[in-house]
Amino acid sequence: MDSRVVSKAQLPELLDKLARDYILVAPVHEEETVTLFKKVSGANEVQLDYTNSDVSPKGCLFPQTEKTISYTYTGDTLDMKEAAEPPKTALFGVRPCDIKSILALDPVFEGKFLDSYYLDKRKNTVIIGLSCSKVLSTCFCTAFNSGPCDGSGADLMFTELGDKYYVEVNTDKGSSLVEAYSQFFGKQDTEQLAKAKEEQAKKLEGQFTRKVDLEGVKQVLDENFELPYWDKVFKKCLGCGICTFVCPTCHCFDIFDYVTGEVSGDRFRCWDSCMFPDFTLMAGGHNPRPSKKERVRNRFMHKLKYHLDRYNLEGCVGCGRCISKCPVNIDITQIIKDLKEVGQNA
Amino acid sequence: MHNPSPLTPYPATVTKIVDETGDVKTFTVEFDDPEVMENFGNKPGQVAQLSVFGEGEATISITSAPTRGKFLEFSVRRVGRLTNVLHQIEVGQKIGVRGPYGNWFPYDKMKGKDLFFIGGGIALAPIRSLIDFALSDQYRKDFGKVEILYGARSYMDLCFKHDLFERWPKCPNTQVYTTLDRPEEGWDGHVGFVPNYVEEVNPSPKNKVAIICGPPIMIKFTLAAMEKLKFNDEQIITTLEMKMKCGIGKCGRCNIGSKYVCVDGPVFNLAQLKQLPPEF
Repeated sequence: MDSRVVSKAQLPELLDKLARDYILVAPVHEEETVTLFKKVSGANEVQLDYTNSDVSPKGCLFPQTEKTISYTYTGDTLDMKEAAEPPKTALFGVRPCDIKSILALDPVFEGKFLDSYYLDKRKNTVIIGLSCSKVLSTCFCTAFNSGPCDGSGADLMFTELGDKYYVEVNTDKGSSLVEAYSQFFGKQDTEQLAKAKEEQAKKLEGQFTRKVDLEGVKQVLDENFELPYWDKVFKKCLGCGICTFVCPTCHCFDIFDYVTGEVSGDRFRCWDSCMFPDFTLMAGGHNPRPSKKERVRNRFMHKLKYHLDRYNLEGCVGCGRCISKCPVNIDITQIIKDLKEVGQNA
Repeated sequence: MHNPSPLTPYPATVTKIVDETGDVKTFTVEFDDPEVMENFGNKPGQVAQLSVFGEGEATISITSAPTRGKFLEFSVRRVGRLTNVLHQIEVGQKIGVRGPYGNWFPYDKMKGKDLFFIGGGIALAPIRSLIDFALSDQYRKDFGKVEILYGARSYMDLCFKHDLFERWPKCPNTQVYTTLDRPEEGWDGHVGFVPNYVEEVNPSPKNKVAIICGPPIMIKFTLAAMEKLKFNDEQIITTLEMKMKCGIGKCGRCNIGSKYVCVDGPVFNLAQLKQLPPEF
């Protein structure tokens, strides 16, 4: 693996250049306390003093609302226009958990029916990761064989070390970017920096307060669909759906039409949530997941079992967002612990 | 070069509408570009997404067999928002169709066997594609006897009356049993619920496949009847209905456990169904 060095002082200039040549999507603050990923016009808008964004960057590849077609139908002629090919995009400042979540989303949108909306953006996006420099009390990425400096899945991985960024060049896409902006990417001291990064990673890994052990949890879920435990967990759930909104691996969507004129309209897909009662409600009135019990069970089964069954990839990346945002403190790490116990007592 | 968009429907025109019952209509639909039909490749049991522009989409089973001609038929019960709108459209209107989606009845494995179809109400629609496939000139020789047992609440609620009383009984080695839930003036046929009628007809499980579709309560009692008749779980095939949006295994709502009904189903045999969590 190739590696480089970018001086901290030069990062703003690099970001300005990227914003000129690409659509640059990077973390920004909104209303002071909310951090999310947005298109920026230059380095001055980018905020790197965050530990984890409140909303994951998945929207860069799978937007919250996305037009699939525009149509005009006059009664005689029907025309449909599809979305244009997405522009070249640089997604900057992605934390390891969110990089991993993109890898978890890839197989959902690949497969027999290629999802052009996601895959075209994925193809045209270069992912520039940024190692964590702090660990939140809700973080538990280490449970999923990842860590605060794990750059696997990123095209380039930046790690802040003193007055420099150590940059791992992981892919050809990353390598082309380095080449195109070679004036910013030095080659000096990379060996020492690699070591410093390892130490940094070790130090941070020691700071995790949540020790989550998944051993045996999937097996419990494989063997038990009905568990008395599910009769308890859902009781405090409000069904607000925030867990699915902030989750970087949630991919459920709705499709609906929006009329824009007498003969024209747009069709959109937008994020949906399995926590909502009408998510599975059929026109005839039957609902296979009629109560919060089934819906809460489905969400945790999806994260801890179904995604693994289908794609052989973890459906949770340990970002901790659902823990910190849940208004009634439903905590997936507690659920993992409880399920483990259920398994041990079985 | 970017990928073709999987959620864009093909433009199509409604060329015929048949009123089956008070709340079921069958729409014949032809693609505006004949080449689309050439490459559509729908197999009996698959579904499609129908669009009414400005209103949205609904998942509807393709009720016609590919052997019937260069068109698709969809039987739609007026039951929700989109189906209400569909029921108001007229011949000549353009709609969108995308698909075909899902798996299909495993007709290769049914070759050489007798087929026993059991349907109730609107649920004859999803299995009609296989009935017509098996009764087609091209494939009739591949299957043994074809029997169709179908029931509805009243005469008015029987779908596909032309098929039931005219077309199918004339096919070689084919028998149609029709029943109504309650006696009715002018009806001299069988009266009684589908599961009881199945027991009366008493089909032997020998070299036979049963294809069942109906409302949940009918399925429940029919499965009990089939067990009495000594059909095993691999001999019983059904097709499921779920709310769907994408049809391509991505939007997340039609899962039963780790399976998506839109890509792994809708057709399952009873042995496969018993492996799934009871969440459908």
